[in-house]
Amino acid sequence: MEDSGMQFGEQMSSMETMSREPSQILNSTWSICPVCMQRLPAERVKKGSEIFLEKTCSEHGFFSTLIWRGHDDFNEWIGSADEGDLGLTACPGACGLCSDHLQKTCCTVLNITSRCNLDCRFCFASSGGGSPDPGLDEIREIIIRLVEKDKTLLQLSGGEPTLRDDLPMIIKIAKEAGAKYVQLNTNGIRLGEEAAYAGQLKKAGLSFVFMQFDGTDDEIYRKLRGRELFGIKRKAIENCSSVGLGVTLAPTLVRDVNMHNIGGIIRFALSHSPAVRGIHFQPATFTGRAPGIPSNNDRITLDELVWEICKQSNGLIKADDLLPSACDHPLCGFHGDFIASGGKLIPLLKRGETGKQDCCSPPSDHKEKATQCCSPVSAAEKNREFIARRWLRPGVKGIHGASVKDSEPGENSAAGNSAPDNADPGNAGEADIRDMSVFLDRVKSHGFTITAMAFQDAGNLDFSRLRHCSFHVYEKGNFIPFCSYYLKGWKQ
Amino acid sequence: MAEPKKLICMKCNKELELKKTDFSYLGHTFFTEVPACPLCKQVYISEELVKGRISEVEMQLEDK
Repeated sequence: MEDSGMQFGEQMSSMETMSREPSQILNSTWSICPVCMQRLPAERVKKGSEIFLEKTCSEHGFFSTLIWRGHDDFNEWIGSADEGDLGLTACPGACGLCSDHLQKTCCTVLNITSRCNLDCRFCFASSGGGSPDPGLDEIREIIIRLVEKDKTLLQLSGGEPTLRDDLPMIIKIAKEAGAKYVQLNTNGIRLGEEAAYAGQLKKAGLSFVFMQFDGTDDEIYRKLRGRELFGIKRKAIENCSSVGLGVTLAPTLVRDVNMHNIGGIIRFALSHSPAVRGIHFQPATFTGRAPGIPSNNDRITLDELVWEICKQSNGLIKADDLLPSACDHPLCGFHGDFIASGGKLIPLLKRGETGKQDCCSPPSDHKEKATQCCSPVSAAEKNREFIARRWLRPGVKGIHGASVKDSEPGENSAAGNSAPDNADPGNAGEADIRDMSVFLDRVKSHGFTITAMAFQDAGNLDFSRLRHCSFHVYEKGNFIPFCSYYLKGWKQ
Repeated sequence: MAEPKKLICMKCNKELELKKTDFSYLGHTFFTEVPACPLCKQVYISEELVKGRISEVEMQLEDK
């Protein structure tokens, strides 16, 4: 990278914007200098319809990072999520977690290898190094330390975790240690190449698969992953489906590479329900291995993503169906909950309706966000159960490799409520989804989520967001917020 | 198998009959059959239904 004034694209582009638009400071927060990573006070500043996170380092100058494009009302979206004097916190240096952290762990990431069989253009983990894997005994000790019995959702990640031949054993260890759910974060190559592999993982106790899936066109994979992978992804879904293992698709979105394919991804996923349980969109983050310093034009903001989803899904999904994160900070993600039926999506959540189930507001001095003041269930726990409810493929027999057809009648029946025989599982058909029993069958078998997570990097790191993080990497006895774990200065 | 118990409306002294009834929650409406008085139309919601399907529907619809 050249050491010139032009390297900080965000700084330059926002200064151009500044000359045209009057500024309005919306609120204050804290961030870091993306170069020296020194803590800095920051402001969210509105210019026209766009909102920027702005900060000035005495040594490296002014930085302005686009965080909102104005497709949605920013203040309504974030609600009352910001709280406390962030200048008094020790973010991000004390991450691990400290007493100022506002959220418990929803999902724990455990990296079991740094090796990888791809060399992706974007990789927050900069995977592919030659470091030796931790041994099985070491992994066992780590898992036993981190697991909270019957609560933990453990995501096995890396690197590419399927490169370890002892992965089934690691899954088994996690289940025996009491992990409630074990999730595999994978590129899907081994699942697609080895027909029996999904069955081995399922038999070991794997709950669901979180699979990198960037689009429905091999050109996208060539650009992002360096090789054509669409066929193998489809095969991986097929292999997982044959053993009743739910797959959630995880696209990394990069403008000019696959932003245009959001609608295609949605239609593909929907046509593979119930094998595919949902899509978890991840706008590219500029940390780890990424192609240079981002310009504001490279940034895909959450409101822009909602807008693109609505536009490209041709009305299948409406903006009101997608709600800001209630577990993490609203600027960290959104979620929509649906039933897939005959190529359509029936929304279960609506903005404005959410929160109505609360009996009253959580107390203001509550350290950890509660979802219901009279309920002992934390937001992180509720989020975890929501994920599991939808991403687990229920009631499917065939763990040992027996084929399971998506259209098998009654395969998803629960509590004795079998769907009527005339109900085509791919389509609620003649069965009336308003019938309580039909609804319960259908939501369990064909529940479908559209979710997103916007990770932070040195440019847009916001302590207010970091404090709410429930997605934690476990290392050396500490639960570390994901974005703080992978945080890297731009000149490092 | 034992005959199901008859349910009598306390107000009208009429035997309840199964009636398709709507239930609304968080903007969604579902129906199921529950015993209802043919005269005053009041319905009887059993504990089994409340703790079973109704509770399940609520859980499925509530935001995370």
